[in-house]
Amino acid sequence: MKTSKSNSWAFCAVAFVTVAVVFSGRLAGETTAMKSSGGSSGSGTQWSVQVERIDPGHLDLAHSFQVAIYENLLEELNKTKRFKYVLREGDSKASEISDLLILKTTVVKYTPGSETQRAVTTVSGATKLTVRNQLVTREGRIVLESTVNGSVRFFGSNLRATHNLARNIAKAIKQSNVAMVRASYRDTQPPTLNARGTQ
Amino acid sequence: MYRLFVLRNDKSGRFGGHALISLWALLLCSSIGALAQSAPPALNANAPFSIRATHLLGLPNTKNNCKGTLSTQDNVLRFQQSGKPVAQVDIASVRDVFLGEEAIQVGGLPMKIGKTAAPYGGGRVVSLFAHKKYDTLTLEYVDSSGGVHGAIFQLKKGQGELMRNELVARGVSSSSGEDQPTKQSTSEVRHEDK
Repeated sequence: MKTSKSNSWAFCAVAFVTVAVVFSGRLAGETTAMKSSGGSSGSGTQWSVQVERIDPGHLDLAHSFQVAIYENLLEELNKTKRFKYVLREGDSKASEISDLLILKTTVVKYTPGSETQRAVTTVSGATKLTVRNQLVTREGRIVLESTVNGSVRFFGSNLRATHNLARNIAKAIKQSNVAMVRASYRDTQPPTLNARGTQ
Repeated sequence: MYRLFVLRNDKSGRFGGHALISLWALLLCSSIGALAQSAPPALNANAPFSIRATHLLGLPNTKNNCKGTLSTQDNVLRFQQSGKPVAQVDIASVRDVFLGEEAIQVGGLPMKIGKTAAPYGGGRVVSLFAHKKYDTLTLEYVDSSGGVHGAIFQLKKGQGELMRNELVARGVSSSSGEDQPTKQSTSEVRHEDK
């Protein structure tokens, strides 16, 4: 009896160590992959981006949400280090920059939520946002187009959905390396690419 | 006959008296109400005005979700955290100010942990009552190079309007619509792009 107990303990410990080792290895792999994709972004030109204010479309989206998406987007795009400059709408420096992309964001879907409802029920009350974002050159050519979601389901205030959304948009832009490279050949390339860099 | 006439006269007289008294009372009540609701005191454009606020995001060199004092003085909007440098915005550069409302769970992380640890779903019951309504004040302003910035502050209920009035008195335009409070709706709002 004692032997079987000690065996099971030993088995658990071995399993735990194995899982820990495998998981840490996977994490390291992910980091490396991300770094290498970041490193391969060089197409000769490093683009700058100008973020336009959020277009609420026909939706009744609170101004605080629009401003929060805009500000979080600027912060998250800066964090990606994929762009030389991240400029705000109306920034006069934009006219001096040659390789400039403009990020347009339109809210497509919005489900207002409630923090109290989330805290009480856990399963309902989520705040959800879906936006369509386009990276456009000065000439109006769409370099990247994607639809991104952001939501807050469990913990956090409703405005946290805007932070998650901005992070997902930045992630989508970061992952669309191919599109960014192709953008440098904008006169010869097809007009629209989606987030995965395919047509 | 006479008696009846006299009685009737008496009644109408009494009725008239009552009507007068009620009219007078009504006028008195409405005037008291009007006094109570009196227009906000005339704002002196240079008088300092300050309230406690939480900076949610947007101000340069200021941490998100930090508490401090939001004040206006000499055409500058200042946010001061205790022991930290002041973040300030020129009121002339503020393009728009919006007021909103948000219900937030109080207590922060300790409360959350307590609610999670409470047995038999007691935490959920606590959550039902542990929320508070706040005003959110959203500003849109431009920097020296013309770039558009946004800043959001959270204030105690009722104080958002005071700050907005203060800013409007100093020349900031306040857009027609107030922010819609974020209520839970069963139907999803949907807008399909072409």
